[in-house]
Amino acid sequence: MSDLAFLASSLVFFVVAVWYIHGCRSLMKGGRDDA
Amino acid sequence: MTFNGWLQIAVFFALVLLAAKPLGLYMARVYERKRTWLDPVLVPVERLLYRLTGVDADAEMRWTEYGAAMLVFSLATMLLTYAVERLQHAIPLWNPQHLAAVEPYLAWSTAGSFTTNTNWQAYVPEQTMSYLTQMFGLATHNFWSAAVGMALAIAFIRGIARRESKTLGNFWVDLTRGTLWVLAPICLVYALALVSQGVIQNFKPYDTATLVEKQTVTAPGTDGKPVTTTVASQTIAQGPVASQEAIKMLGTNGGGFMNANSSHPFENPTPLSNLLEMFSIFAIPGGLCITLGVMAGSPRHGWAVFAAMGVLWFAGVFTAYWAEAQPNPLLHGVDQQAAMTQPGGNMEGKEVRFGIANSALFATVTTDASCGAVNAMHDSFMPLGGMVPLTNIMLGEVIFGGVGAGMYGMLVFVIVTVFIAGLMVGRTPEYLGKKVQAFDVQMAMLYLLIFPLIILGFAAVSVLSQSFGTSSLSNHGPHGLAQILYAFASATGNNGSAFAGLNANTHWYLVTQGVAMLAGRFLMIVPMLAIAGNLAMKKIAPPSLGTFPVDNTLFAVLLTGVVVIVGALTFFPALSLGPILEHLLLRSGVAF
Repeated sequence: MSDLAFLASSLVFFVVAVWYIHGCRSLMKGGRDDA
Repeated sequence: MTFNGWLQIAVFFALVLLAAKPLGLYMARVYERKRTWLDPVLVPVERLLYRLTGVDADAEMRWTEYGAAMLVFSLATMLLTYAVERLQHAIPLWNPQHLAAVEPYLAWSTAGSFTTNTNWQAYVPEQTMSYLTQMFGLATHNFWSAAVGMALAIAFIRGIARRESKTLGNFWVDLTRGTLWVLAPICLVYALALVSQGVIQNFKPYDTATLVEKQTVTAPGTDGKPVTTTVASQTIAQGPVASQEAIKMLGTNGGGFMNANSSHPFENPTPLSNLLEMFSIFAIPGGLCITLGVMAGSPRHGWAVFAAMGVLWFAGVFTAYWAEAQPNPLLHGVDQQAAMTQPGGNMEGKEVRFGIANSALFATVTTDASCGAVNAMHDSFMPLGGMVPLTNIMLGEVIFGGVGAGMYGMLVFVIVTVFIAGLMVGRTPEYLGKKVQAFDVQMAMLYLLIFPLIILGFAAVSVLSQSFGTSSLSNHGPHGLAQILYAFASATGNNGSAFAGLNANTHWYLVTQGVAMLAGRFLMIVPMLAIAGNLAMKKIAPPSLGTFPVDNTLFAVLLTGVVVIVGALTFFPALSLGPILEHLLLRSGVAF
């Protein structure tokens, strides 16, 4: 059970990190004030 | 402090200085895919690896793709290490001591620790990890996590150097070339040099030595009552140490094969091996300053960054050496002056063969970088001596720093410095011709704020709870606070050194430190890559009267000031309640 819990929590962390990339990219697109 | 001590410190830095240019130029050629003398041997290996893994070496990646590839690689290798730890008892290879499977909490924390280049060890390696786990699960991570850090630093440098580009390179190519061309060849030679000094490399079962004099030991039994036993023999751990030691230091990983780390005579037997180990921590980070200058087209800028790092390093080593060379005011009637027959000062927790200068230097270097190896116990340093490694980590480990991680961390500070300089003169801030604008500064602040948020947040919760927080402490009062702060700073900064004294092998500390390590690595990398991606897309403006030069002494001084001020503003209140208060109370005769 613990193995599955740690596997799941690791996956969740990395999914959050990918979502975080998406968030930063959205901010980048919305906030670009030059080119 | 002695002349001999300062001479050894000067020799160390001279070596770092001498190696920086050739190594930096070499790394620039490696990452720019120019011809090197190792190509005839390594290019076929590289091509084979790409063919086997299906990597298109000519494909370029946007910063989001670069970041996603790095995350996928890190997740896959983390899970692989977790599996090796959990299954080591069932694998009939290189487990002569028949060590059991690693417990799940510890296995997860350790897998995260080595994936993030932290190498925090909440366990005794020689009693917990089989040779297979040490080599395949942990030493491989020492290569991978170091190569990932270097790849990310190079991606940032490309962001500065490229103009109107949407891409930062190819993560898989950078990872492969950093491993094959930089880390592996140096480690091959370095490991043999360590063996020549007496570092062991074998697969033998542990030896047993009969003690010349039997020892009587009293310790709490299972029921809590004291039990006295007589010890007549001692187990001497063995293993493939040299091969792991080399990358442990060169890759600024720091996780020891033995629990005593680089104070163990099998890991670090002689003053020469000690010098080599300290030098190898700074070798690549120092070289990367030159790589920055070459790839960004401003060699003097690389040297300016090197100079800022050098000044901060010297401030740390001076303070640590001075603090440790002082007599302990609580030891009355004891001769603590340095002489031909004694080192003087505070020798508690230090190896006699290294003495005070080399212990203070090692502690400074290992925490300037994100290495975390130790040759002395930082918990036994005088309060201000122990504050130096803690402060180094809290400054973000940008003083040469971890391989790659130190460079990209310092470059984030460069962005902030250029921004502040722009505000001072009332012009649009420019960094090597690139305008630094709102998004860049937002991402830089995100990078800088995540770090203290994790450290101070977890430390605050820990000190509030006796049941799961302060119960792990061996000392209380300001020293106990320093132990907790150090643990979370070390984890979040991906340093991995322990202040010692804190039992981190509890569910609370294993889980929170695991989260701190992962967040301190990956949640800081993302905004850094975003800055790089944004910079790469910009035009390069020609220098004008309003351009702030980043290749002179003024810039180096300003950069140094920004690093210190950001760190001081963030962490000074915590430090004042920890080591500074402990120092003042020690002077009043109070110890913890």
